[in-house]
Amino acid sequence: MENEDDLIKGFFKDLIRQDESLSIPEFPETKVKSFPWWIPTGIAASFILGAFLLFQRPEVPEAPADVIIISLQENENHEQEILIEEKAYIDIWESSTSSLLTEF
Amino acid sequence: MKHSELENILKNYHREAFLWSRQCCGFEDELAKDVLQQSYLKILEGKAKLRYPEKVKLWLFSIIRFTAIDELRKNGKWLPIDDSFDLVEEENEEVEMDYQKLLMRLSPMQREVLLMVFYHQMTIAEAAEILQIGLGTARTHYERGKKKLKELIETSQTEAENGK
Repeated sequence: MENEDDLIKGFFKDLIRQDESLSIPEFPETKVKSFPWWIPTGIAASFILGAFLLFQRPEVPEAPADVIIISLQENENHEQEILIEEKAYIDIWESSTSSLLTEF
Repeated sequence: MKHSELENILKNYHREAFLWSRQCCGFEDELAKDVLQQSYLKILEGKAKLRYPEKVKLWLFSIIRFTAIDELRKNGKWLPIDDSFDLVEEENEEVEMDYQKLLMRLSPMQREVLLMVFYHQMTIAEAAEILQIGLGTARTHYERGKKKLKELIETSQTEAENGK
């Protein structure tokens, strides 16, 4: 057994000696690929922008406080006159063509 | 562990790592360089993590071995692990003892255990850890490998004496 071990040890000793003449390559330049953070950042920014645009309520123009009603009326002298009224809201609205229904 | 610390460790073990990579790649220098580069990348990119700093050599050897197996498989050069492994004797053998050729005639497991113990000064238990096998199995590969290598050495010596 001891003989066997010596033979094996001698074999590997010679192998180690032989390998000493081997040229060992330089330590390789290892460029580690860093995680491309700009990709998730870009995706997140797009989502935020999209959400902002999607949920932004369109501005509704406020109704004017007063309504100006311009109507054409016939006075007692049977003359046509323009009547201009200013109201906060329209309580009576008559279609401008309603006369066609009643008069003809 | 910091990138620079890992790089320092790898630099310290670079020579041994290359020799081990070469041994795992059937003594092919170019393949060994590729395997080593890939192993280093795995480590530096954090794909392989060092859990026990005291076992850095075992960890490094383990990564190199698995990377080499992957590469050999890709190239169709990986031989299945089998104790009855035996290469057909070549007709025109060189008279001078060819260490690498003799080692390549052992089964991969026997060769790796013997290299780790006698070449890289590891214990059988450490070799078992790298090979991810039980201590008993590693001992069996060790004993059978020694026996087989002894026969191969003696045959080679006899042939050299007879001037074949």
